[in-house]
Amino acid sequence: MHQRKAGIWPYLLVAPALLVVIAVVLTPVLNAILMSFQSYDLRRPSAIEYIGLDNYQAVMRDTLFWESLWRTVLWVVFGVGFQFVFGFSLALLLNKPFYGRGIVRSISLIPWVTPGVLIGLMWRWIFDGNFGVFNDLLIKMNIINQPIPFLARQDTVFPAVVVAIIWQGIPFFALMLLAGLQGVPIELYEAADIDGANVFQKFFRITVPSLKNTIYVTTLLRIIWVANSVDVIFNMTGGGPAYASQTLSVYVFNKANALNLGYSSTMSILLTLLLLVVAVPYLKSMFKNQES
Amino acid sequence: MKKTAIFFLTAIFLVFSAIGCKKKDEESSTINETGNPISITHWYWADNSEYSAKMQEIVNDFNEENQQNIKVTAEEYPWDGGGYSETLFTAAMGGGGPDTAAWKLTSTPLFIANNLLAVLDGYIDNWQDKDDIESSLYDVMREASGTDSIYVMPWNTQVLYVYYRPSMFKEANVAVPETYEQFLEACRKLTRDTDNNGTTDVYGFGMRGAKGGQEPWGSFIWARGGDFSDFTTPQAVSGMQDFINLYKNKYVPPTAPTDGFNEIIANFKSGRTAMTIHHIGSSSGMVETFGDDVDAFPFPAGVKQWTSMGDTENVMFEACDNKDAAFEWLAYLATGKGQEKWCITTGNVPVSKRVQAMPEFQENKFMKVSIQGAPHAGIFPILDTTTEWINTIWPNTVAAALAGQKTAAQAMQDLQNGLYED
Repeated sequence: MHQRKAGIWPYLLVAPALLVVIAVVLTPVLNAILMSFQSYDLRRPSAIEYIGLDNYQAVMRDTLFWESLWRTVLWVVFGVGFQFVFGFSLALLLNKPFYGRGIVRSISLIPWVTPGVLIGLMWRWIFDGNFGVFNDLLIKMNIINQPIPFLARQDTVFPAVVVAIIWQGIPFFALMLLAGLQGVPIELYEAADIDGANVFQKFFRITVPSLKNTIYVTTLLRIIWVANSVDVIFNMTGGGPAYASQTLSVYVFNKANALNLGYSSTMSILLTLLLLVVAVPYLKSMFKNQES
Repeated sequence: MKKTAIFFLTAIFLVFSAIGCKKKDEESSTINETGNPISITHWYWADNSEYSAKMQEIVNDFNEENQQNIKVTAEEYPWDGGGYSETLFTAAMGGGGPDTAAWKLTSTPLFIANNLLAVLDGYIDNWQDKDDIESSLYDVMREASGTDSIYVMPWNTQVLYVYYRPSMFKEANVAVPETYEQFLEACRKLTRDTDNNGTTDVYGFGMRGAKGGQEPWGSFIWARGGDFSDFTTPQAVSGMQDFINLYKNKYVPPTAPTDGFNEIIANFKSGRTAMTIHHIGSSSGMVETFGDDVDAFPFPAGVKQWTSMGDTENVMFEACDNKDAAFEWLAYLATGKGQEKWCITTGNVPVSKRVQAMPEFQENKFMKVSIQGAPHAGIFPILDTTTEWINTIWPNTVAAALAGQKTAAQAMQDLQNGLYED
C-alpha cells in the first residue's frame, strides 16, 4: 500500500510549540545550570565569573540548606499526606448522594481556586497572636486564657504553615479522586455485597485498587507542587522566625531576592535532582503497574 | 514542498521583522517630532490611602501647571518592608522600570553597580533651587553612592522617635523618660494587668522584630555605647542584651519577633502597647485615633544617643528617554508645591528650607520632636550587603536571640558576619 510521504510539514507544525518550550523552559533551565557554576551575584556584577563547583561546595557546608531540606521533607510528608487523607475522605463523602451535594461540591473547591498569596495572608491573620480569630475561638472555648503567638514561636510556626497548605490542597485530591470514584463500576460493589464483603474489604479490595493510577498521578503532582511551593509560606512568615518555617524553595526564593542568583540556582538544581530521585522511580513503578 | 516551506518561513521572518521595525519607530518618537506630551512614569509607595490620594493630587497639579507639556503617571507599589526596592530592581533590570521613582538610600550601591541610575550633578548644578536644600544633604547623597557623583535627589526625611500615651503614663505614675535607664524602667512599669485577671493587657513597649526593626533596635545598641562599625564590642552586645531582656521579661507583646510596621501601629492604636517607635509619618493617624492622648519624645540618651533617620528620596533612571523633563518633576517634588503638599500631609521633615519655615511645620509638636532628634539621627552603613542584612539576616538572627537560641554575643557576631561578610 502506498504511504504518503510526510515531508517537512510535521516538523513545521511542531516547530512553534517546540520554540515556545525552548524559549520558556529549556533556556531558563540551561541558564540556571550555567549560573550555578558562576559567582552570579547581581550586587557585584563586575565580579561575575565561572567558579567551578564552589557554589555546590558552599551549599554542602551551609547548615541552613540542610535544615531547610529536612523541613521540606516534613513539609511534603505532612502536607501532602494530610491533603490526601482528608481529600480522599471528602471524595468518598461527595460520592454519596445527599441533598445539596452540588453546592457542597462547589464550596469545597474554594481553597483550591483561592490564590496562594491570599491564602498566606488569610491564614496569617487567622493565626495572628493579637487579633487572630483562631486565638479568639480557643479563648472563647476556654482552651487557653491568653493568645498564643503561633507565627512568632518557633515550635508552632511550622505546624501553622503546614495547616494552611493542607487546607489549600484538600480539594485537589477530592476532585481528582471523586472523578476516579465515579468511574468504578457499581457491579464490583454489588458482587462484593453478594460475597459478603464488609465496608473495609470493599474499600481496600475494590476502591483503592481501582483508583491506583489516579492516586499515583495526583500524589506525584502534589509532591512536586508542594515541594516547590513558596507563596503560602512567604506570605505567612517569610520563612521565619529564625528560619523556623523556611523550606528549601523559600530559601531559594530568599537568596534570589537577595540577588545571589548563582547560589540560589545551585540550590534549585539540587532541589530538582532530589525531586527527580522521588519522581522517576515513582513513575517507573506506575507504568510497570499499568503494563502488568 | 520545499518551496512552500521556504515561503512559509520567509513570511514568518518578515512579519516579525516588520513588528520589530514598528516597535523601534514608536520608541524613537519624541515630543519634538510628534507634538505629543512627554510621558514620565513615576513609582512610589504610600503608607496609607490618604498619602496615596495626595501623591495623585500632586501629580495632577504638576501635569496641569508645568509649561512643558510633561505628563507624569504615578504608579503605586507597596513598600512591603523593603520589597518595593526588590520589585523596582527586577523591573529596571528587565527593562520595564519607571523613569523616576521614590527611593531609599540603602538601595543605591546595587543600582549603581548595575548602571541603572542617572547622574544628577549636571542638573543640580544648573538648578535655580539648588541652595534651597542644605548642602550637607547633597554630601549624604554622594556618600551613599560611594562615588563623587549624586544619583539621588533629596525629598524628605523622617526621624524616629518614641510615641507614648500620656494617660497610660499617668495611670502608671511614670514620667517621660529623659535617660535610657529611665526608658527601660518605663517599659517595665507600663506593662500592666489592668483588669486583674492574671494576664497582661498593656505592654510597655511595642517592639518591632520583623523587617525594618533594625532601625529602633539601633538606638539600644548606641545607648550602651556601641555603634555599627563593630557589632561585637561589649557595649553593642550589652545593647542587644537589653533588647532581649525586654522580650524575655515580657515587657513587649509575645508576637514581637514577627511584628512589623502594621503590627506595632495596630498594637499601639488598640492600647495594647504604651510606647512604640516610629516617625512623624504615623502622627496624623495617631492623632486621629487618640486626639490629645498621644505625644512623643526623642529616644533618650544613654552612653551615646542615636536614632534612625528614615530617608526618602527620588531617583532618575538611566533608561529614561526624557531626562530634562524627569528632572523638572523631581525638582517639583524637592522644592516646589509637591514638597509642600507631601510634607504637610505626611508630616515628614521637608528638605526645602523654604518649606521648613512654613507655620505648618513650626507649630507641630511631632515636628518639634523630630527636630530635637535630628542631631542624633543617622543611617545604617550602606553596603551591597545591607539589603539582604535588613530583609533576612537581621529579623531571623534577632528572632533566634529573642527565643533564647542564641546569646546576645552570638547574635551580634552573626549580624557582624552578615553585614561585613567576615
